[in-house]
Amino acid sequence: MEEEKFDCIIVGGGVAGCAAAYVLAQNNCKILLIEKGEWTGSKNVSGGVLWGPTAWEIFPNLAKQSEDPPYERYVDRRRLSFCSDDSSFSIDYKSEKFAECPYNGIAVLRSKFDKWLGEQVEEAIAQSDYAEESFVATSIVVDEVLQKNGKVTGIRSGEDEFFADCVILAEGVNNLLTRQVGLMEETYNAELVGTGIKEVWKFDRDLLEAKFQLDGLSGLSNEFVGCTQGVEGGGFLYTNRDSVSIGLVLGLASLRSSGKAVYDLLDSFKKHPSIAPILKGGEMAEYSAHVVPVGDIRLVPKKLYKDGVMVVGDAAGLLMNTGKSIEGMNMAMESGRQAALTVLEAKGKEDFTARTLENYQAKLSETFVMQDMYNFQGAVKFIHNPDMFGTYPDFVNDLMYKVFNVDGMPKRKTRDIVKETIEESGISYWELFKTSIAGGMHL
Amino acid sequence: MSSVKDRLAKLKTNISKKPHILVNTDICNSTCPHKCTTYVCPALCYTQAEGQIHFQYEDCIECGTCMHACDQGAVSWNFPESGHGVTFGLG
Repeated sequence: MEEEKFDCIIVGGGVAGCAAAYVLAQNNCKILLIEKGEWTGSKNVSGGVLWGPTAWEIFPNLAKQSEDPPYERYVDRRRLSFCSDDSSFSIDYKSEKFAECPYNGIAVLRSKFDKWLGEQVEEAIAQSDYAEESFVATSIVVDEVLQKNGKVTGIRSGEDEFFADCVILAEGVNNLLTRQVGLMEETYNAELVGTGIKEVWKFDRDLLEAKFQLDGLSGLSNEFVGCTQGVEGGGFLYTNRDSVSIGLVLGLASLRSSGKAVYDLLDSFKKHPSIAPILKGGEMAEYSAHVVPVGDIRLVPKKLYKDGVMVVGDAAGLLMNTGKSIEGMNMAMESGRQAALTVLEAKGKEDFTARTLENYQAKLSETFVMQDMYNFQGAVKFIHNPDMFGTYPDFVNDLMYKVFNVDGMPKRKTRDIVKETIEESGISYWELFKTSIAGGMHL
Repeated sequence: MSSVKDRLAKLKTNISKKPHILVNTDICNSTCPHKCTTYVCPALCYTQAEGQIHFQYEDCIECGTCMHACDQGAVSWNFPESGHGVTFGLG
């Protein structure tokens, strides 16, 4: 194996790396997929819901697993909740249109889901011409990307070196190698990332389904705003087969300047009157955390490639919160696919220099990935407005309290209640006007 | 609610003898204005006693928070060596 040269080495067995490896193996490439964990997914963490058609397109077998699919549940119910200390106001949407396979969104637990993706890669390898010469190698940490005259030639792990025409870096947000090869600057910037902190709570499946009014494999995705004590970020709750993923994503620079402890914020979220009853009857099964890009284009390298190397997924800062859904895994998979297609093109041309690999960036720019990254930068700024994490959720909850409260006094018209709530909130009409215009423009 | 330590205890980790993160606590203890690792690290790897920062890598869940959060150049971060570190059963 040492002296052999691969068509492509893929570093990282997450959703991006597995997508790239699968497309390459299917197209008869000699590949090496390297994962640092015990299996693909064993060190991976996400919220997480995988949105959109990309996963189903790349892995058509996903749709054939109706009995015991590798995902947890499909999302046919969306809820966005605005929290104040003692109340919450939600927008709730459920549709049969989201209950049709291929599903619009699937909740996943990455240790299970990415394991299945790795098995798909192995199956594709077994059916390729390189069944004996392509590998999924686990428990291997890549220490260095090897370069010769500025061109990437392979990787080194400990004393072992592996060579390839091309390397795809799918190493995730802690992208030491991407920075080592100079595709991203070496200094880290807390303003461009968040910290996700999460717990998975196990339930009796019948109890879980009754709690959330779930049927079969249907599931709920609930995002929360205003539950972070003024720290930039929000909460999430996703239903799995027999568990719930609950957690927070906190802007790291904002968290740092708040002085608040990340686990205290999670505990206070779990104690919120809208959350605490949900967790009743369950048992905390797993605690996890991970850094996550926050959708700021400044994190995305100007160039996603150089001679012999391309960077995909979180390693390239590809994640978007459009205010409608938080999309990261689908972007990762799409970028993995586009990088793989570029490898095929380079193989055909026998040219793995930047001249051919730049087509990866060109292709990616045509897809939703870069289109959304560019078109929703206004949404990123809008969502990161400090008032979004306290003032506005409090305002909405005050308003709804007055609307729904029956106090034995003569009723007031809603417009008078709105006027009074605005005046009490300290938000100026101009501020409200600006925010609604900005929301309308950017979201 | 269970403590962070109790929550971490449920995770499977194969602790390497070699620390994968090196922290120059001299920087933390002298010039750092916020000592943020003591509250941003979800695994309580950074603690403060009598004004001094103490770092232990054994509980690390490889999230990367300290690397991205430290703006003082005190954290030199890496993954645990091959075959070591945390394994998530759910993720």
